[in-house]
Amino acid sequence: MSKSSEEVLLIVKNVKNKKTDGTLYMMGERMAWMLESKNVFNISYMYADIKAQKISPDTKEKVQLQIILHDGSANTFLFNNPKSRQLQMQDRESVKELLQQLLPRFKRKISSELEDKNRILQQDPESFQLYKDLVVSGVVTPEDFWASRSHMLTSANNKTQPGQNVGVSPAFLADIKPQQDGANGLKYNLTADVIQSIFKTYPMVKKKHAEAVPHLVSESEFWTRFFQSHYFHRDRHALASKDIFTECAKIDEEVMKEEITRNANDPFIDLTHIKDQGIDDEYRGIVDDTRTSNNIANQAMIRRFNQHSTMVLRACNLTESSCVAESSCGDSVKESPKRCENDRKTKSNSLSEFNGNVSDLHINSTNTVYHEESIRKKKRIKEKLEYEDLDNREQPEGVILRLTHMDRYLRGPTPATNTTSSISNWASSLGDISPEDAIQTMSQEILTWGSCRRKILGGSSALAVLGELSPGGALMSGTSLQQLHQQVSPVTREEIKQTYNAMCELLRHFWTCFPVSSKTLEDKVTKMRMTLERFEMSKLIPLKEKVSQYHYAMDLTGHLEEMLRAAYNKFDTWQAKKHARKT
Amino acid sequence: MTDKVTSCLLIIIVDTNPFWWSRKRRVNDQLSLTHCMDSVVVLGNSHLMLAHRNKLAIVAAHTDQSVFLYPRPPTEKVNMTKLPDDGQYNDFRQVEGQVKFQMSQLIAKDKEKLEDLFEMEEQPPPSDSLVAGAMCMALCYAHRMEKDCPIGENLSVRILVVKGSEDCPSQYMNFMNAVFTAQKQNIVIDACILDTESGLLQQACDITGGLYLKIPQPQGLLEYLMWVFLPDPVARSKMALPPRAQVDYRAACFCHRHLVDIGYVCSVCLSIYCTFSPICSTCQTTFKILGPQKVSKKKKKV
Repeated sequence: MSKSSEEVLLIVKNVKNKKTDGTLYMMGERMAWMLESKNVFNISYMYADIKAQKISPDTKEKVQLQIILHDGSANTFLFNNPKSRQLQMQDRESVKELLQQLLPRFKRKISSELEDKNRILQQDPESFQLYKDLVVSGVVTPEDFWASRSHMLTSANNKTQPGQNVGVSPAFLADIKPQQDGANGLKYNLTADVIQSIFKTYPMVKKKHAEAVPHLVSESEFWTRFFQSHYFHRDRHALASKDIFTECAKIDEEVMKEEITRNANDPFIDLTHIKDQGIDDEYRGIVDDTRTSNNIANQAMIRRFNQHSTMVLRACNLTESSCVAESSCGDSVKESPKRCENDRKTKSNSLSEFNGNVSDLHINSTNTVYHEESIRKKKRIKEKLEYEDLDNREQPEGVILRLTHMDRYLRGPTPATNTTSSISNWASSLGDISPEDAIQTMSQEILTWGSCRRKILGGSSALAVLGELSPGGALMSGTSLQQLHQQVSPVTREEIKQTYNAMCELLRHFWTCFPVSSKTLEDKVTKMRMTLERFEMSKLIPLKEKVSQYHYAMDLTGHLEEMLRAAYNKFDTWQAKKHARKT
Repeated sequence: MTDKVTSCLLIIIVDTNPFWWSRKRRVNDQLSLTHCMDSVVVLGNSHLMLAHRNKLAIVAAHTDQSVFLYPRPPTEKVNMTKLPDDGQYNDFRQVEGQVKFQMSQLIAKDKEKLEDLFEMEEQPPPSDSLVAGAMCMALCYAHRMEKDCPIGENLSVRILVVKGSEDCPSQYMNFMNAVFTAQKQNIVIDACILDTESGLLQQACDITGGLYLKIPQPQGLLEYLMWVFLPDPVARSKMALPPRAQVDYRAACFCHRHLVDIGYVCSVCLSIYCTFSPICSTCQTTFKILGPQKVSKKKKKV
């Protein structure tokens, strides 16, 4: 037995794993499973490694418990007590509850930040190299390293954060499939998602829930009533007054009416003229659909369908304003239970008052309806008729640029030495040649221009030019040399690159300390100076020695040293100043 | 035969500034304008010889105008100088003949103008070479040729500037516009400099990815042209050619025309100054300078 000192909290026999019988041990720090007839644990999971547990639904024949580990693997245990199913369930429940208690205690606290950092190091080989060079070797503390990379972390965080508002499935109510529970009842399985959906689509229910649940009824009772209530069922005309959802139904009616007035007021759409018929007559064979439904129940149902769809659509558009509304709603919720306890009458009074307010509002609005509608109509017509881009609106004139020296502006940034041949001093540029002379000379030359193809390039000048253009010639300087990247081996190049990377990082830390305005920065700059020295000793000098062995034409580490020297100089002057100030 | 056919258009811009060339002649330089033109024609013919589809254009950048020496507009009657019949390939002969004829026309026109000038006693003609104008003409020509290019054929264009006279600062804007247009059209600009270094062309070549070469021995011009500028930019990468020089992109200040490393730029008109002045002398903008904020006296005593 391994670790006999471990306290065994629970032993469950008759537990199958991969079709073999065994015993499940729940211990202080881990759970283990032992094959029958053996005394060594075949399976052992530290609680810290377990991410979650899952259990099979009661409806399933097998009573199972699944353990999901952090690395994504899973294992399933089958509870197989031969005596009865009841006992199997009991076994599982005991394990489940124990796990429920234990798991949170061992929940590895992998902060999201740590995960992020890990991810960055994995994804960015350059950072990883830097981390190895600087942090692992102790040159820079991890805090400093990450502090300079906080933008990477936050950007990663931001990437995950913008949560998109998830909409509501239109069939969420239908998807709650009631199950027969053997007796003459139905059982609804409500998940958190479904409840959330209900709340989202029916804010009134949410309000009721907040009002009623902790004080008046229990959670399950509330939902039982919800499903029992006519509110949920198809026929809503029989409204029981005692029901808590009666009010909801009433308000729903109001909302429906409001919706109708709001959506069906486009002056360009006459809904009453729309007939329920196909575009192509032959398609349905009915030219005029005269069937009107007389069944009030059906009509009511269609109305409710429409309303349901409206609510579902609206649930997606919940913006911040609704959040504000919600919070204010929550305030009123706090009050209302008190009122309920005090006096039922007041509640109903306030309710009627509320309704009264609504109807008042309605009357007020009808007075202005006509006026508003004409304005709206005009606006719509204007929208349809006028196109912004066809307007010949005159652009306001911009500020005129007054250029006093236009010429210098047109001349552009060319240096003064090149201006000698400008018109003003053309004569001087031509030396002693007058334009007449010049043109006379040229016309003479053109006149004597014969065909002298053989004389275009003389042998001696050709040879001289050949020398110039050949590798090593006057014009080819720099090309005959091998390129640097061909000289230096890839390994050395990589090494130099890494050193560069690491040192630039250190120098960045160093330079960010300036201006040294606080005590912490002062400490840091002193520390960084030491770090730089250490880096020079441990990395730069060995590299320099190594490079010097290859006898490269160029000083490959020269620039690195230069950068270090600049940093040292800065530090020294700063320190000198500091001392001067002190004394 | 599904390969894309690529033809190459080479546009050579030759600086034909008569003042500069005659001065060269006066100081007994070995390179003369006719020699230069001959070399350019040989280069052009060699380019035509490289591939059957290759095309050629030669533009003269003169002091008062830029002229296409070859080809001439198709409506014009083909005029060319009589050349001795030595069995030269007809196309090459045409190039040579036309270039010579147009050159003599150009100089003859100058002479006429000079005579007019004597009568009118007016301002003398400008002495700058219109390189920027010639480049713009070359770009337009390249654009037209690209549009006329039959489907399935790919036209790559490059411009070679053979320049002797000095940069003309008054053309700066036009020149730079032409250069950036060329860059946008994927047209490479090469420069072969005969005398003084040209900062503008250095930049132009660097921007468009062309070669800039100031030749040390002008009498060997043809060899430089054939050696360095005949291969097209694709082939150049495989050859050992003179390395690209570092281009000095420093700007000169507007006030003294000195090159400055770091200067002051007017935020309104983008004028460059070597020293700070509270009023921009180009656009009269007044700058309010907010001095560095005063460090509070209550500095913590360390």
